[in-house]
Amino acid sequence: MAPLLEVEKIAAAYGEVRALWDVSFSVQTGEIVTLLGANGAGKTTTMRVISGLLRPLGGEVRLGGRPIHRLPAPRIVASGIVQIPEGRRLWPRMSVLENLELGAYLPESRARRAQTLDWVFSLFPRLAERRAQLAGTLSGGEQQMLAIGRGLMSRPRLLMLDEPSLGLAPILVREVFEIVRKINAEGVTVLLVEQNVRQALELATRGYVLETGRITRSGTAAELLQDPEIKRAYLGM
Amino acid sequence: MRALSARLPWARGAPWAPRASALAALALGILLALVPAVAPRDITLLNLGFFTFLYVAQGLAWNVLGGYAGYVSFGYAAFFGLGAYTTALLWLAGWPPLATYPVAGIVAAAFSLIVGVPTLRLVGPYFSIATIGVGEAMRVLMLNLDRITGGASGLNLPTAVPSKTWFYTTSLLFAAVAFAVAAWVRGSRVGLGLMALRMDLEAAESLGVRTALFKNVAHSLGAFLVGACGGLYATFLQYVHPDTVFSFTESISLVLIALIGGLGTVWGPVLGAVVFYAVQDYLQTSYPTFHLLVYGVLLILILLFEPKGLAGLAERAWRRMRGAPARLAPAGPSGAEPAAPGRGGAG
Ligand SMILES: Nc1ncnc2c1ncn2[C@@H]1O[C@H](COP(=O)(O)OP(=O)(O)O)[C@@H](O)[C@H]1O
Ligand SMILES: [Mg+2]
Repeated sequence: MAPLLEVEKIAAAYGEVRALWDVSFSVQTGEIVTLLGANGAGKTTTMRVISGLLRPLGGEVRLGGRPIHRLPAPRIVASGIVQIPEGRRLWPRMSVLENLELGAYLPESRARRAQTLDWVFSLFPRLAERRAQLAGTLSGGEQQMLAIGRGLMSRPRLLMLDEPSLGLAPILVREVFEIVRKINAEGVTVLLVEQNVRQALELATRGYVLETGRITRSGTAAELLQDPEIKRAYLGM
Repeated sequence: MRALSARLPWARGAPWAPRASALAALALGILLALVPAVAPRDITLLNLGFFTFLYVAQGLAWNVLGGYAGYVSFGYAAFFGLGAYTTALLWLAGWPPLATYPVAGIVAAAFSLIVGVPTLRLVGPYFSIATIGVGEAMRVLMLNLDRITGGASGLNLPTAVPSKTWFYTTSLLFAAVAFAVAAWVRGSRVGLGLMALRMDLEAAESLGVRTALFKNVAHSLGAFLVGACGGLYATFLQYVHPDTVFSFTESISLVLIALIGGLGTVWGPVLGAVVFYAVQDYLQTSYPTFHLLVYGVLLILILLFEPKGLAGLAERAWRRMRGAPARLAPAGPSGAEPAAPGRGGAG
């Protein structure tokens, strides 16, 4: 079967500053794939290219075999990819419900928003309790849940999470990973960028390592966990 | 869990707020509509009403893009002027004035798309600067197209004009339409998208908000209303001149009205226009430039103390009167109140 997402030889830059050279990887339907790498390696840039926020200089991105790298961001959401951005990017002065409503902004998702909302609230009961509260008054953990819930409101086929555990206490980090597992079990394919390398690899099916804009390693999660180079560089062993 | 969402208010803010606001507007509108019946010969009063309503309508129109989406334009005189000239030329060609206003609006809206499609891609401040250029360019262009516009001598329009009562009522109707449009947009999905893109353009895009489209819709909606106002103004004056209807002062007035009244609020431009026109009317005759100082001071006070302008002040006063505690968090675009119990939680 063709992969759900195929990224082929993408290159990207911010003005004169080159950020990605020749990045290729793929995600199969149903998988959790993790993209690892140090700060500044190009993980966020890769996600921004996939979600249409940054035009690649070259290469292709395909979803279910269809090229999407020339589509504007809203069309990419419509085709089934949503990105949960680094740092959450909520609307702090809007209510929880308004943030969720913005997640179901496309006409197709809007038509089903009542059912989707029930689903999201069943995943995040705390959001249901706080639905009238301003997003900015939520705790860090709740804000991350809202960011994920907001993304799910579009009913994505592929959920991309950019460092969802950033800035959270260890117990909440575990909670976030548990939620990602649950969402994946309900049929959503996941591309996960993480600094918590061990936990990411324990959750993921496969992984890729990105170093200064290039993919340098790839394999199943079990292989990567055993890789001496990864143990040394990312797991502190 | 099932049907939980069925009970949820998707509408923004307290569920009663939009309805109360609409009822208040309706009551005020009816009251004002009765004025000509009570004082049919008070020309000063009717003229005061005419100009105030015209500014209310335009302030509301400007606020859709400028306030909700945060794209501050200094170029709406181009829409006002195009509307004024459209009405002028059609009226001279024998059309009844009333029939020309929708056309004036459409001409202005079409022009707003020509301007907006390229410039609304720019980030806020660059957009603002571009609009100054466009506004001034239009004025100069119109001055030089003297075959059509009368150039520096302007155009004299038919002398058979409707009554002052007619002008008063039509202007009030324009303000009512603008209010309805502004209130509807704010409570709608479009308004939510506009406010979302103001606060985080990229996040809005990445969730599927077609930001470029919505900015242009907001711009042309505002332009349509301002164009129609320009048409009504031309009928009232029976004269058009590029320097008046395309003036930078006209553009600035709309920005001031929205800022004084409260950016992005529905009632803001209403209050702002009343204060703006009152100040202008009282001071300009006796001290020709003093009103500019008053606006300057008002602006500084607003920027320092109440970014939501007079509407923000009014809301505060209203809360105090009802004995409700002051807001815990800064006013949201939704006007939704933070729920007091159970803050914090898992963090
Ligand atoms: N907005 C930007 N403008 C210029 N350079 C950027 C910008 N965002 C990221 N970069 C650069 O691109 C490279 C990759 O960054 P990023 O994709 O954010 O890395 P990561 O997410 O892996 O930490 C870095 O060298 C970074 O400095
Ligand atoms: Mg990053």
